[in-house]
Amino acid sequence: MLLQILIQGFLLSGLYALIAVGFTLIFGIGRILNLAHGSYLMAGGYAFFWIGQIIGLPKIIGVALAVFLGAGMGIAIYRLIVRPLKGDRIAVEIATLILAVILQAAIVLIFGSSSKIPHPLVPGVVRIADTPIAWSILVATCASWIILLSLYAFIRLSHTGRAMQAVSMDPKGAAICGIDSNRIDIIVWSISGGLGALAGVFFAGYTQLSPSMWVTPLIISVAVVIVGGIGSIMGTLAVAHIIGFMEVIVTTLIAPELRGVFTMGLIIVALLFRPRGLFGREEI
Amino acid sequence: MDIGRHHLALWAIAAAGLFVLPSLVGSGILRTLILANYLAIFAISWDVLSGRTGYISFGQPFLIGIGAYTTAILTKRFDVPMEISIPAAVLVTMVGGLIVLLPALRLRGSYFALVTLALMELCYQLVQVIRPDITGGTRGMSGLPTLTRGASNGYYLSTGLMLTIALTAWMLMRTRLGLALSAIGMDEGAVQGAGLSPTRLKSFAFLASAFIAGLGGAFYTHYLGSIAPRALFDITFLFTILAAALIGGSGTVIGPILGAFFLTFLLEWLRPLLPGAERYFVYGLVALLLYMYQPAGILAIIERVRVRLFGDSRSG
Amino acid sequence: MKSATSPGIRFLGIRFSGTRFFTAALLAAAFTAHQAAADIKVGFIGSLSSDTGRSTLRGAEIAVDELNASGGVLGGQKIVLIPADTGEDVTEGIKAYEYLAESEEVDFIVSGSIDDVSLGWIPRMREYRIPTLDTWTSYIGIIDMVIEDPEAMMPYFMNIASDEALATLYIDFGKDVLKGQMGWNSVVILAEDTAFGGAITGLVTDALAPEAGIEVKEIIKYDIATVDFAPIFSKAQNSGADFIYLVSSVNSQVVSSQYVKLQVPMAMTGVNVSAMGADYWEDTGGAGGGMSTLSPVPSVGFKLDPVSQAFVDTYRARYKDRPVMPHFNGFNAYHGVKQAMAAAEAAGGFDDVDAWASNMKQQDLVLELDGQLWLRYGFWGDDEVEPRTGRKYPHNIRFDITEPYDEASPSMVVIQWYEDGTTAVIYPKKYATGEFALPSWVK
Repeated sequence: MLLQILIQGFLLSGLYALIAVGFTLIFGIGRILNLAHGSYLMAGGYAFFWIGQIIGLPKIIGVALAVFLGAGMGIAIYRLIVRPLKGDRIAVEIATLILAVILQAAIVLIFGSSSKIPHPLVPGVVRIADTPIAWSILVATCASWIILLSLYAFIRLSHTGRAMQAVSMDPKGAAICGIDSNRIDIIVWSISGGLGALAGVFFAGYTQLSPSMWVTPLIISVAVVIVGGIGSIMGTLAVAHIIGFMEVIVTTLIAPELRGVFTMGLIIVALLFRPRGLFGREEI
Repeated sequence: MDIGRHHLALWAIAAAGLFVLPSLVGSGILRTLILANYLAIFAISWDVLSGRTGYISFGQPFLIGIGAYTTAILTKRFDVPMEISIPAAVLVTMVGGLIVLLPALRLRGSYFALVTLALMELCYQLVQVIRPDITGGTRGMSGLPTLTRGASNGYYLSTGLMLTIALTAWMLMRTRLGLALSAIGMDEGAVQGAGLSPTRLKSFAFLASAFIAGLGGAFYTHYLGSIAPRALFDITFLFTILAAALIGGSGTVIGPILGAFFLTFLLEWLRPLLPGAERYFVYGLVALLLYMYQPAGILAIIERVRVRLFGDSRSG
Repeated sequence: MKSATSPGIRFLGIRFSGTRFFTAALLAAAFTAHQAAADIKVGFIGSLSSDTGRSTLRGAEIAVDELNASGGVLGGQKIVLIPADTGEDVTEGIKAYEYLAESEEVDFIVSGSIDDVSLGWIPRMREYRIPTLDTWTSYIGIIDMVIEDPEAMMPYFMNIASDEALATLYIDFGKDVLKGQMGWNSVVILAEDTAFGGAITGLVTDALAPEAGIEVKEIIKYDIATVDFAPIFSKAQNSGADFIYLVSSVNSQVVSSQYVKLQVPMAMTGVNVSAMGADYWEDTGGAGGGMSTLSPVPSVGFKLDPVSQAFVDTYRARYKDRPVMPHFNGFNAYHGVKQAMAAAEAAGGFDDVDAWASNMKQQDLVLELDGQLWLRYGFWGDDEVEPRTGRKYPHNIRFDITEPYDEASPSMVVIQWYEDGTTAVIYPKKYATGEFALPSWVK
């Protein structure tokens, strides 16, 4: 039982980290909450499904399309919503929320409202310690770790990454140092969208595609940001594990129907008692 | 700022117009007007809190839902008459408003918005899990007592309620208290510096908002005659309220009303043209574009047209 | 028309033929154009983008066209069908009902609404007193409302067997097949945390143990937004039961496809609403084999009588997109609209609701296959007590839950999805076209 919880907790948490990382990146760089983040996952998942199961092309093309689509959406949201609103955070939140509702209607328009299950990226199941593990989620977890670690290295080591850090800490100072913050923003928004859409491929392969599927990942992302505070990559990884393990433990040991109640409760408690999050820096 | 005679005349004409309307238009339009009235009440309730103080609440459906559920449960499960259940619902909602207030004492901006959103989601989950025999669980409750029958009675009731709330809110906002609330939105520190207590002002705004939300929610439930968690604690409902207040013109009383009427009628007029999901797509797109490119709302458009037509004589 | 594209279509960079968007607009225009000549107006309330809603809408469309082609109703009047979308949203459902009643002033409404949407508009129906037929929701609470307040609920009819009847016959399946044939003695119930899940779970637990002799080891309720079912399946396995009984109506593909993907080494059967449609196989990308579910009749894999078969042939020739086969409620709408019109003929129209309702209760359509009763569209008498469940079902479709099912249709059948994507009815015996099967990985 304990081993099962450990395995299932690690797997789910890896997926959650991948879902949330783009959201925390955006929050880190502009203190902006992109409430259309769940829509990247939806777009990515549907693109993957469309390529693989409607057009009938190889899955890898679906993954590529999903990532490009997500990145494109990220840039579009930045150019068409964030920039015109000149960084008014509340306005961006409201506009992205409206956008998410519109995209939901668009999905109903194109694909109808019945849910669909896309083929998992990697089919099959492996059994470790009597616990069945879908290859698809194992791959998602490994991919998530690889992506997060390389993202961490990229931000720490590369020139662009350092510029991102600088913009995140002090946009004005960064501008004085000659950093083109516009370019940095576009890079971050496209990374965020691309990773979100990739997470969507894994997420949808595991659960389902439906026009309202953007809500759950958004709540996960929000929980990660709130509990973790202003996002460091490592903070995201850590908090994704707190939330993932909490879900598995609640489901296995307490009461599966209270899964959502616990996640919401965690958000509220964290906000009330540690508004800057467990790993947050001082500024909000 | 005194009310001119022509103002009074204008109001009298408007009131008379509203009164005779049911004999002029079909009951289909009256039904749409009723829903627009209730949406206007919810949008005003949001605006009293968020439009003034700058604390953006994503949890207005949480407050409305508390009011609606309280009166629904009292009347349906405990046979409490509506004269008692509705005031009780308003009181309970105000307690809910205090719950929303707590995080606001520590949090600002995005964090406050998120905690209210989380409260709404939590309520959605709890209604289903806790005592579904009382709340009706996911299916909700049907066959609740209604206050009125027929379109025109519902129209008079909702219009009266909406106008009373709007007028009260308008007069309140013209007092120094209203001014102080708006000042919180601009600079909370300065309010404190001026010797006023932001906490007390905020408490007032939260309670006023909750009062309106609870009242609107309770009457709304007894108009609909049914209640379901998905109809209340829902992001789509939140989106409609926010959109009504914002695209109408937030920070005013007339703005949210305009927005509510515009959105409700837009959705109804699209129905025969686009019967399916296309309607929500167009509706959302219109809301987003208006919000992006006309941040001061429809009110500002009307004002501009008025100035162009009649000159700037009555500004202020 | 082909070159026309709507703004929504380029939105996701997907080339999507604009026909659907414009068909909808044209449809609306056509309806408005027809209205001038129309005499009898039938409203449809339901979701225009879900399989559920569309089944009812299309069933009604075909019935209306056939009635018009044979000279109309009530002295040669033509029928027009006016759709009102609910988007499966309760408030939208109320608005849609008001729109049909007030703006369109329809004479009769056929509904493909889901439970909470129906509950939402029922107060409006009581107010307007428009004859209304529900074809999808099987919620027994609505029938209870008819019993409590027969006068107010007079215009309401439901032509699908209600929950109680579905669950009772399902117990027989447990007794005959799960216990009798498979030799299973204990069950773990996996139920979604919704009103539907609670109701079915209650009915099954109260009767499964005493009647079928199957012990309920554990009841696991889960949150419908659950992402990962692996811990839940582990929990089910640890209960030590012989099989899983699933109760799932919302997002039921998620749990069944994860069951397949994880190859849970334990048999699973139960109620899986999404597996009731023929599109299930495509929707799950093939991850749906080995599932069985109860379904109201007629279901996928159900042998059809000639009349219903003719309806399906028309349906298939006419509609190319999903649902490729009408769900049970499509049949209910097709037959039900015709019966409502026949009742109106007898009552002299829809205006006198009491007269219409009493004539509606007289409607009785018996469909035979190979000389035996196969399906029946009739209603229970107001004071008639169904012997097995010991309760009344006024305004609810007549069903028969005792072998040999020669009084009326059975309330449900059990359908089986095989791993090659084919389906069969496996219970009751009279209707069976195949055998109960376990997934290949279950020993």
